[in-house]
Formats: sequence, structure tokens, C-alpha cells
Amino acid sequence: MSIWGAIAGGFVGTLVLTTALSAASGFGLTRMDLPFLLGTIVSSDRGRAKALGYAMHFATGLLFGMVYLGIFAAIGESGWALGALFGLVHGLFAGTALVTVVLPAIHPRMGTPFSAAPDRPLLEAPGFLMLNYGRRTPLVTIVAHIAYGTIVGGFISLAS
Amino acid sequence: MRDAGYSPLREYGAIGDGRTLALVSSKGSIDWLCLPDLDSPSVFGTVLDAQSGGSFSLAPEPPFTIERAYLPETNALQTIFKTEVGVVRVTDAMLLPGSGLVPSRELARRVEGLSGRVPMRWGVEPRFMYGSRRPELSRRGETPVARSGKDALAVSSWDAGVPVLNETSISASYVACAGDDALLALSAAHEEPLVFPSRTEVESRLMSTIAFWRGWSAGRTYEGPWRDAVIRSALVLKLLIHSPSGAIAAAGTASLPEELGGDRNWDYRFCWVRDSALTLHALMRLGCPQESESFFWWLLHASQLTHPRLRVLYRLNGGDRAPESILPLSGYQGSKPVRIGNAAVDQEQLDIYGDLMQTAWLYASSGGDLDSDTGRRLAEVADLICELWRRPDCGIWEVRSEPLHFTHSKIMCWVALDGALRLAERDLIPRAHATRWQREAKAIRTFVDERCWSEEAGCYVRSAGSGELDSSLLLGALMDYPSERDPHLNATITTLRRELGSGPLLNRYSGEDGLGGTEGAFLCCSFWLADALARADRIDEATELMEQLIGLANDVGLYSEEVDHQSGEFLGNMPQGLVHLALINAAVSIGMKQRS
Repeated sequence: MSIWGAIAGGFVGTLVLTTALSAASGFGLTRMDLPFLLGTIVSSDRGRAKALGYAMHFATGLLFGMVYLGIFAAIGESGWALGALFGLVHGLFAGTALVTVVLPAIHPRMGTPFSAAPDRPLLEAPGFLMLNYGRRTPLVTIVAHIAYGTIVGGFISLAS
Repeated sequence: MRDAGYSPLREYGAIGDGRTLALVSSKGSIDWLCLPDLDSPSVFGTVLDAQSGGSFSLAPEPPFTIERAYLPETNALQTIFKTEVGVVRVTDAMLLPGSGLVPSRELARRVEGLSGRVPMRWGVEPRFMYGSRRPELSRRGETPVARSGKDALAVSSWDAGVPVLNETSISASYVACAGDDALLALSAAHEEPLVFPSRTEVESRLMSTIAFWRGWSAGRTYEGPWRDAVIRSALVLKLLIHSPSGAIAAAGTASLPEELGGDRNWDYRFCWVRDSALTLHALMRLGCPQESESFFWWLLHASQLTHPRLRVLYRLNGGDRAPESILPLSGYQGSKPVRIGNAAVDQEQLDIYGDLMQTAWLYASSGGDLDSDTGRRLAEVADLICELWRRPDCGIWEVRSEPLHFTHSKIMCWVALDGALRLAERDLIPRAHATRWQREAKAIRTFVDERCWSEEAGCYVRSAGSGELDSSLLLGALMDYPSERDPHLNATITTLRRELGSGPLLNRYSGEDGLGGTEGAFLCCSFWLADALARADRIDEATELMEQLIGLANDVGLYSEEVDHQSGEFLGNMPQGLVHLALINAAVSIGMKQRS
């Protein structure tokens, strides 16, 4: 297990995750666009938000690669199958807490269930399991995160 | 069959907080409230079932008469109850949250004794899930609480008697003396613990809520004729804007009947793309740039999943499904079925593409930014219109009969392509296919002029080759089709008014729609007529009609969807956004013409 494996896995995993979500959006499976959601935290300009969002998403992907590495090191095991399991947990966490609860709470342009008449949000909140963005969003998100986890786990294992 | 226990729809006022909306009757009863959001199941639904719907009553025990009005330029409703033994004033408002730990939804009812000693009685009978679930009632300390599944309500009261809990309700009686000040607060929780407010907090939030509405109204820039009615309409629209997303609900209720005892009962708690251009236009004319931007962003996000096709309507949270089902409720005055969801979501309506493009044009021409991704999507919508416009559709009125080549739909397809060409001229959307858009727009115009104009009727007709009439053709005039100088415009206005009109009222159309029964006169059509008359430089007619229409509002300035031709009673869902939108746009158009 090495930090370079985590960095490489985090980068490639995020590349695959982003591509999978983008393709799912293109095929009409979901309206979720993680780089857009992240980028609009800092900019209301759509084009700039997407560019910034991609950078933020890759940084987050690398950060999670490090978290995976830390957990692998702590339990003394790694591998693509364990990575896939982590990816499943990661995807569920993203769908139920990270994007659903934390993101609306910190996002200055996103509505929340507590937004009232004085508020004028520009982005709708994801809702439970991000279902507001389409019925297949939870499935797409979890599959993409399993792919991410598999790649990170595999790269860390290979770099041992 | 007409059931007892129902208030006339004309007697309802509306209060809300940008998430949900309550109807308050002139008898002091809250007969409609969905929690936590407008499109959630009702907890008070007496308006749909007087026996089992649930309500929050508050009124003097002796016989009374009332006077009521909104506190000026707010959505707080004030009712003065006059009895032989004294007078009390009740102020009702849905509270805005402010800072600190507050209930997720909160409704306040303040009762002030103005004179004498008035025996008062209040009762909360919550019926969760559209009346299907009786609550479990208990107390948390001194505070009565009603629970059911994921939802809970706390009923806090101060100086309003000692609450008594029975099997299904929380109630109390007390005497309101001159100078007394009692307070009731309903706090709601959904999938979270209840928050119990103090009296000071509720009073403070009531004051700040009133201050917010006054500030918001003061920020509107409209200074033309019928200002009070326009500002009231703006406040109604603000109530219908779903703050968590920016979407605008078509109306605050579901399944209020278009005919008493009839089956034309629909759920309007969704956002119709059809209304988008009129909505954006009205918001911009009122000086609401932030609401306009919020709504446009929401529309783009919501329609992304089905791009380039559009759904007729979307859920307030952006969802694209609204399966229709029937509730086991008796319906307003026996009007069954009581429907929730709306099957129109799956219909094909071509006019909505024109509304989307017109919305984008209005947004961009007022300085809104269209990024390249949005521009590409709009161009793809224009390409789609080139393929779709030759098909029959269900039209703006969502007929459930066979699809037809509706004239209004074709006109709106022309509006879509015309809008795309204007956006392309400004380099806001890709112009690669502009030649095709131009060719198809010309073909639509030829189709409408040759197939949808009747020399015999002397106007545009409802659908290609038919002799039927349709008030929605007035919208063509509002979208600059035909132009103001076109003689077809004047002729169509005159014929529609003569054949579909009765006084200030206007029917939607002549001919079949695949549904049984009848309906009242559609108020939005009358306001469109006033708008079209103004655009055709028939200012006196427009002004006179507008005066009559303003007089049709209820005592607090609200409109439902329709008015009964004979009785003048309100019919259909209320308050109805499209009617209030049409009022705003007509007033602005007439004002502009009066000044020019």
C-alpha cells in the first residue's frame, strides 16, 4: 500500500466516476451533476462553476483516495473487492448524508426543506437519496461509487 | 348531492410561507393545509371532506358577522368577529423561520379582544395523509401533541383556555375580554423531533413575518392602474412559489371542482411549463429579478431529465412523475372523484415548447445570462420542434379526447422557432440550424393561415379545419402572433368575445374535450381578453372589462380558477396562479397603452 497508489487510484477512480455520472445524465437517467453542484458553491456563473467544480471534484476524489488508504492501512488489507465494498458504503453515505444533508446546509445557492419565502435558491435540493434529480439517481450514484472504490482499492493493492 | 359543512370557495383566504399554504374560511376555520410542503398530503382537508378531512377551527361561540382583510401588503389575514356580546380580532399567518431553533413549519393565530366579553372556542382536528390517518394524541409537558408516522404537530396556546384532548381532537373554550391577547401556535415536524416555541418567540416571528411581507411588497416596482389588485396578485404568486426550489405551483389546492358535484376535479399542486412564459413575464414586470432567475434555473434543471422533450408539468421538487390516483374522500360538496397527481403529465402538448423558448427569450432579453450549455439545449429544442409541429396534440387545455391539430399549439410552435431565431441573432444559442428554423416557422405560419383561419367564422378556430372556437387563441396575441396591426387579431378577439363570452366572463372553448359535465367560465381567459384588447388598441373596452373582472375577486382579492355563470360562485382550485398572472399582465398592458 502506498500513497502513490492512492493518488493514482483516486485520480482514475474520480475520472471514471465523473464520466459515468456525466454519461448517465446524457442518457437521461439522472439530473445530478456533481461538478456543477460543487462549483456553484463558489460561482453562479454556470460555465465557471462547472470548470471549478471539476477541479473541486478531483480534489475530493484524491482526498477520499487517502481516506481509503488510511482505512486499508488500519485493517491491514486492501484489494479491489474491499475497495468495491468501501465504494458501496461511500455511495450510500454520499446519497444519504453528504450530498443530501451536508451539501444543502453549506451551499449558498441551494434550497433546503427549510427555505421559506425570503429565500430565492438557484438550485433545487437533492432530497433523500438525491431522488429529486431522478428516480434512477441512487442507482447511478451507487454504481459509480462502487466503480470508484474498486479502482482505488485495486490501485492501492497493485502499488503494494 | 350537496353536503352540508362546506364553506363557499369564495369565502376562503390564503396564508402561506413559501413552502405550504393554508385556506382560512370566513368562519375562522383552517380547512386546507398540507405538510410539510404544498404538494404533501393534507393534515387539514375539510375542503375535500367535511366529515373526515380535519380542520383547525377558531371562532366565537355566539352567532357572529365578520369583516376581514389582509394586513396591508402582507399575507397575514385579519378577521374581525362581531357578536352581540363583543368584538374580537384574529390574525392568521404562516410564520417565516428567522434565526435560531424554530419549528420547520409554524402557523400562528393571534386573538385580540376588542370589546365586550366574547366566549371563544377553538379545536384542532388533524387528519394526516388526506384524512386517512387518525392521529395519536398525547401531551409533552403541558403541550398537546398529535402524531402519525413521520409527522407530528404541537399545539401551543397562551391565554386561550385549557386544552382538552379527546380521541381525535384538541380543543378549548375561553372568554376573550376587551384588551385580552391570546395566542395559538401550530408547530409541525416531518421526519424530525418537534420544536416547542415560547410565546415570545412566536410573537416575535409573527411581527417579523408581517415586516417581511411589507418589505417584499414595497420592493415591487409596479405603479400602474389597479395597483392594489396587482400587488395582491403578486403576493399570491409569492405564496405559490415553492421556496426550496423556485418552482411555482399552478394553485394551492387539489381537486376542488370545476362543476359542483361533477368529476372535473384535478390536482394543481405542480408547476406547468405552459405557465412559464407568463410567469416570468409577470415576475419581471413586477420587479422580481431574483424570483425570475430562480424560476428560470429551476425550469432548466427540471426539464434536463427529459431533454429535449418537455413534460407538461413537473413536481415542485423537479420530479417528472405525477401518477394520478383517487382518494376515498367525499369531495367538495360531493364532487367526486378526489384526485391527486395529474395524468396530464404524460400527454403530448406542443405549446409548451413555445412557452419554454419565450421564457428563455424574456430571461435573456432582460439581461439574464444564457451559458453555452443552455444555448445548446435550447437549440436542440428548436430542432425538435421542427420535427414535432406537424403532429396533433392534446393542446393547452389537456383534452382527454383524440389529439387534434390545435391552432394554439401550432402558434406556440411558431413562437418557439421565432424565439430561437431571435436568440440565435444575438448569438445566445448556436445558429447552425437557423435556416431550417426559419423555413419551418414559415411553414407553420402558412399552415395556421390556410388551415386554422375560418372565413365563415371570421376568426382563427380551435383546430385545423374545425368551426370551433378557443379562448387560448388570445394567447397568440399576447405572444405577438398575429402582430398588433394584423386585422386577424381584431376579428378573432371580437368573435371570441361574442361567441364564448357572457358579460365579463369567457368560456374556454366550444366543442368536445373527452370529459363529461360542464364547467364555469375560466377567469384567466377573461384577463387574456382584456390584455388582447389593450394590445389591439381597444383601450376603453379593455379598461371596462378589467374593472368588471377586478370586481369578481373575493373580499380579500383572491380568485379561483373559474366562476359559475349563474351564481357567481368560485369553482376550481384556488388561489389560482394563472388567473393572478393574467391579471398582472393585463393590468401592465393596459397601463402601458394608457400612458402611450
